[in-house]
Amino acid sequence: MNKRLEWNGHLEKVGRDKDKEAFAALFNHFSPLLKSFLMKSGGQDAASVEELVQETWIKVWRKAPHFSSKQGSASTWIYTIARNTRIDAIRSQIRQNPDRLNAEDIYADYQIEAPHSTLVQLRNKRFISEELRKLPAEQSEVLALMYFQGKSGQQVADTLNLPLGTVKSRIRLALAKMKLALPGNIAERQTGETEHD
Amino acid sequence: MIKNHPDTDLLAEYTTGAMALAPTISVTTHLQFCNSCRSTVEALEELGGEMLEQADAVPVSDNLLEQVFACIGKDNTNQDAFLTMQNTIDEVANSIPDYLKKFLPEGDLRWKFLSPSVKVAPISVGEQVHELALHKIKVGGKVPEHNHLGKEITVVLQGSFSDEDGVYQQGDFIVREAGETHQPIAANHEDCICLSVLSAPFKLTGLKRLLNPFLSFSPS
Repeated sequence: MNKRLEWNGHLEKVGRDKDKEAFAALFNHFSPLLKSFLMKSGGQDAASVEELVQETWIKVWRKAPHFSSKQGSASTWIYTIARNTRIDAIRSQIRQNPDRLNAEDIYADYQIEAPHSTLVQLRNKRFISEELRKLPAEQSEVLALMYFQGKSGQQVADTLNLPLGTVKSRIRLALAKMKLALPGNIAERQTGETEHD
Repeated sequence: MIKNHPDTDLLAEYTTGAMALAPTISVTTHLQFCNSCRSTVEALEELGGEMLEQADAVPVSDNLLEQVFACIGKDNTNQDAFLTMQNTIDEVANSIPDYLKKFLPEGDLRWKFLSPSVKVAPISVGEQVHELALHKIKVGGKVPEHNHLGKEITVVLQGSFSDEDGVYQQGDFIVREAGETHQPIAANHEDCICLSVLSAPFKLTGLKRLLNPFLSFSPS
């Protein structure tokens, strides 16, 4: 059985039946990845990174009933929960807005109108996965700084000592290779940009 | 038809969490109207899932799963999302997306008149750097000409407005860089309501600057 389908199935079991075995399987697979992901956000020691990993799993357990494999894959869903956990941790560290808003309040709560079929999803996933491995180092470096460290385009530019325009074009090239930005959208956005640049 | 969108790298910053609160809210607001950007964000999130899958595994402590089960076992009633929709009685609140209603103050919005045809109500989200606000421009009303000392993001929530560069409809996401001067005018058939994010005070040009109510920049 395809691994990805397996994770989706496990997560649905957690949501539906509070299945602890399925939860443990997910935990064992994703925890070392989550630790790696959350470690790179910087400034955290191993113990507090594990606290964030723990927090992520508590949320996964609580929110699993809302997961549907029709709307995306388990890894994507877990990624957004880990991202929100990281955002909230950083925000509470700098004491900005300590008690009013959570990442979850500000990110989308829209419903996906036309969920992809499982087959299309799997094909997309595999494509993204293969293209991601093939990206030139200079592009994957930029994506890693953004995704793992939560850096903005400008911060990536500062870190790599590159002009912002170069960073932006690397992001766009990478996304276009993975077909994550529809060519139509890119064209549309570029026209939009000349208007307000 | 929405013609103005956040550009792709802005959506990437949004997805990865690099953006401050108020701009993040403005992008989520745009997504309430825009299927195309919504699918781009979903794709960017999928990429996040894939990056996670391809991360170098770092072993976790042996007892971490036990600890997680221990926490789950306790009756954990706290929710992740703090906010629920406010029962705002302001008429403008009826015409904005439900998503945004969560951020409105309870009861009345505190409207301030910037000119006879423009009023503004701040939305407090505990942000230090940006000011988030609703603007209402009366049918056919003009916003006094102003230039921006900082970046301004505007999302049209209802109605439409135009300026020197074009016409902006419901859902449009418009970015004005520092130093740009413009004079928005609401369409002739209905009031225009916008969400705006301002990253620094902006000032009126010309004589009107003596009476510049825009200068009351006060991030909450």
